Amino acid sequence: MTTPLALYLASVLGAAALLLAMPRRGRPLVPLGTLLGPFLAATTLGLLWLLLAKDWLTTGDTGLEPLGFAYYYVFGGISLLAAGRVITHPKPVYSALWFILVVVSSAGLMITLSAEFMALAMLIIYGGAILVTYMFVIMLASQSAPLDSAEALPDYDGSAREPVAAVAAGFLLLAVLLGVAFDPSIERNPDAAVPAAEVAALLPERTAQGESSWLTSTPTDPTSAEAAAQAVEVSNVERIGVDLFTGNPLAIELAGVILLMAMIGAVVIAKAQPPSRSDDSGGMGAGPGAAPGANPADAPPSADPLRAEPPEIGAMSAVESPA
Amino acid sequence: MPETAISTLTLAHFLGIGAALFALGVIGFVTRRNLIVMFLCTEMMFQGVVVTLVAFARFHMNTTGQTFVIFVLTIAAAEAALALALVVLLFRRQRTLDASAWTELRG
Repeated sequence: MTTPLALYLASVLGAAALLLAMPRRGRPLVPLGTLLGPFLAATTLGLLWLLLAKDWLTTGDTGLEPLGFAYYYVFGGISLLAAGRVITHPKPVYSALWFILVVVSSAGLMITLSAEFMALAMLIIYGGAILVTYMFVIMLASQSAPLDSAEALPDYDGSAREPVAAVAAGFLLLAVLLGVAFDPSIERNPDAAVPAAEVAALLPERTAQGESSWLTSTPTDPTSAEAAAQAVEVSNVERIGVDLFTGNPLAIELAGVILLMAMIGAVVIAKAQPPSRSDDSGGMGAGPGAAPGANPADAPPSADPLRAEPPEIGAMSAVESPA
Repeated sequence: MPETAISTLTLAHFLGIGAALFALGVIGFVTRRNLIVMFLCTEMMFQGVVVTLVAFARFHMNTTGQTFVIFVLTIAAAEAALALALVVLLFRRQRTLDASAWTELRG
């Protein structure tokens, strides 16, 4: 069986597994569907791993460390299973926790690719900062109903929306992507096919020789032997720093501007007081995330112009008008 | 430790993981109805792209892919801050996280 055909088959099996594991209100699609889904997913991953390992071990030269492919299998399997659980777990808190596992295993994959700085930045920024923010918002925006049993889940968490069509479309995309990635007609590293003179003409400051001299212990640049000797000791962080600050100074400034705008925008959006709904008793307009001092419920409701409007009209004006 | 570029086949393995993470994120974004989990799935799509970029950086033996990951992280952080602020605002309006509670925004 050829590798692309096996990958397509694995995509179909994975789609079936994901479909069985989707949260569904009421009876499952087939009996024992909740047990069959993870089993089918594990079987798919196992078969896929066997096929890919055969493909890999016959060629030998991978560019990874001798144990690199073992780590690839471990981290890749963990990340895929955790990713499947992120989108099938009915409780958002557990989805966020499984996503942390996705981040950690992706960081492991990056260490396998000798991108240590990126792995640690992923852990700190994603696993630390962003996921803690998600946790805070999940806690701020949770319903007051107890979340102990599956029956207490709100309906929008307990049932998936159009699971069959979404899974079919998603795994069709995945099958096409895998078919391109494992296309056997792509054999060589395309960098080797481009003449060095052409690269130098296109990128005058960043030739292929200059880039490889940062990395290889046997530098190909004969003109600067001592610079190459220094370049051997350059760490991953220093390489990224040089590339970041010499190649993209304008982009760094723009990234800072974007972060500042996002921060100001988040403050402005989160501070906007929504008009209370007509069926609310008056204190419900401000959520649990609102600061107590900024709560307009302290004022009489008729004094607030936003509250006098019906919610359909005031829906957008509350964002724009300074509260 | 001498480093060499990974082979095309090895690159395909890492691209497969990245594509699978991206596709699972797409599926989750479409199927889940909780606003927070939908944005979590966009973060998972970012993860797939990041794995792909780092694998390409190793394949071409330069750090351009890893440098681009920094900007991806920047955009992801900005997106998370804005999206979560919007989620808090929407929850305070309708007391629900259901995405279908806002179907009137379709116009």
